[in-house]
Amino acid sequence: MKDIRIVEAYVGEYASGKSEVAINRALELARTGRPVTLVDLDLVEPCYTLRPLKKELEEQGINVLAWETRDAVGLGETGNILRAEVPWALRRPGHVVFDVGYGVGGARTLDLVEGIDQEPLFRILAVVNTSRPMTMTVENVVDYVRNLGPVHGLINNTHLGDETTADIVQQGAQTVAEAGRRLGIPVVATTAVAEVAAVIGPVDCENNPVRVLKRYMPRAFW
Amino acid sequence: MAGVPVPGDKRVFMTGNEVVAYAAVAARADIMYGYPITPQNEVMHYWTRLAPKYEKRFLQTEDELSAGFTTIGGVMAGRKAFTATAGPGNVLMQEPMAMAEMMRLPVVVVIMQRGGPSTATVIYSQQEVILTTFGGNGEGFRIVYSTATHQELYDYTIKAFNTAWRYRFPVFLLADGYQAKMREPLTIYDPLERGIELIAPEAYLGRPGTPGVDRPPGHFRNTYSTEEELYEVLQGHVREYERIWREVEEYESLGTEDTDLLIIAHGVVARAAKQAVEYLRGEGLKVGYFRPVTLRPMPVDALREAVSRTKRFMVVESAYGQLSKLVRDALYGLAVEMVPLYKPGVGVTPEEIMARSRELIVKGES
Repeated sequence: MKDIRIVEAYVGEYASGKSEVAINRALELARTGRPVTLVDLDLVEPCYTLRPLKKELEEQGINVLAWETRDAVGLGETGNILRAEVPWALRRPGHVVFDVGYGVGGARTLDLVEGIDQEPLFRILAVVNTSRPMTMTVENVVDYVRNLGPVHGLINNTHLGDETTADIVQQGAQTVAEAGRRLGIPVVATTAVAEVAAVIGPVDCENNPVRVLKRYMPRAFW
Repeated sequence: MAGVPVPGDKRVFMTGNEVVAYAAVAARADIMYGYPITPQNEVMHYWTRLAPKYEKRFLQTEDELSAGFTTIGGVMAGRKAFTATAGPGNVLMQEPMAMAEMMRLPVVVVIMQRGGPSTATVIYSQQEVILTTFGGNGEGFRIVYSTATHQELYDYTIKAFNTAWRYRFPVFLLADGYQAKMREPLTIYDPLERGIELIAPEAYLGRPGTPGVDRPPGHFRNTYSTEEELYEVLQGHVREYERIWREVEEYESLGTEDTDLLIIAHGVVARAAKQAVEYLRGEGLKVGYFRPVTLRPMPVDALREAVSRTKRFMVVESAYGQLSKLVRDALYGLAVEMVPLYKPGVGVTPEEIMARSRELIVKGES
């Protein structure tokens, strides 16, 4: 992993867990010793997701491209706004992780990043939580992911907040895996917080690797 | 396809705005009218995503004045109609809602409070309490449910339509930006499967028969030419509102029998208050909790009873005394000291409430 540059974008349904998965991925990559840049590509609600966590994440060694409170004047409903460094994120050394705004419109904002079409290992990963009514069944997930545009992998991020159990995650793993088979898209990982991941083990019931998540987002605004 | 998006009872993980949209479908609402405004946008987003599958309608209007009046139009045509807004949109909606009050129209309005003024934060506050309970040039003849959890957002959205069509007063579901955007588990269900009756809407206009021959002509007035005329109509509304008051009022309380301190809060702040009270009671302190669920009508009798059994009470809110205005009005004549904990525009944590409570009780501060 040391020599390979990883460039990943996390896309998906509103509140599917994109930011949480992206943050944890960036921190995981930072542990390889190479520089990591985490980019907030949410143009509609840019100052509410990564911004409250920016300092904390930077202290853990990752470079965060996100708005800060003092810069954030008239964001959100006054119009879409792109931070000036963001289109040039791929000029930075090391791994780059994009946290993309929600839904189909959000996925399209990746076009704004310079050189994204020339990254050989660029991967768009769709984050799915089957406890969310819009992506609860195999059919729902298939329809939804098809609408997102190009997707290279699926992440099973099924959970119920503090009520999450291994069973809930495993049921999600089955649904996402079946959706992946129908879509012809591989499942890259299942995610779970440490207590739940310990019950599941290193792989889920579909033999996908389990990424252990630490929850940062409860400290964000939304 | 009619029915509900998810059959049976299902534990799900949702944002508050989504919950409202799903609950409106489950309540068999027919149409939403709306204009985009943060933090309620996803009520519209999810309603419009669900609408085609469940034979629902949506109209985006040019502003919130229009959204309010078109909701009235939908109701008069016999549709279960609703709208959702926040902050400045809530200000504009007071005009149509004042009319709905006088015309006794069962409109349902969902409010996700944000910080004022109109161009200020889109995030959170409890600053729309007075606006939502008594806004408009009228007498506040409306029903306002203040929710605290996603489960309540679901339950009370369904209930709001029933309350509106049963009593024919406008019904507001008052939440806030935190509830709108935060995520937590809840159980969604089909109210019909649970045996909850859903009151059918009926048309005000366009009924069968010749007006004046087969039936009395409909005459739905929003115009009163003289003061006496308005007075007379209002007297009818006063009597009806007071008649239903105790049927409609709702509250939640904990340990209010005999307390040194009673903590009063509503909405999402009530969650922090309840948690603080449970903790402090665990420490052996005599602390009680009272939460009006209906801010209008205020559960006056229960509130007076709880306050009459405490040495003093603390009103906690994310506003500078809006809930406390309503509370003090309800408590007129009771000589009990009030301590404010006002945090206008920001959230309140259980730790803050506990710290202030300990100061008041243990150290005897004022």
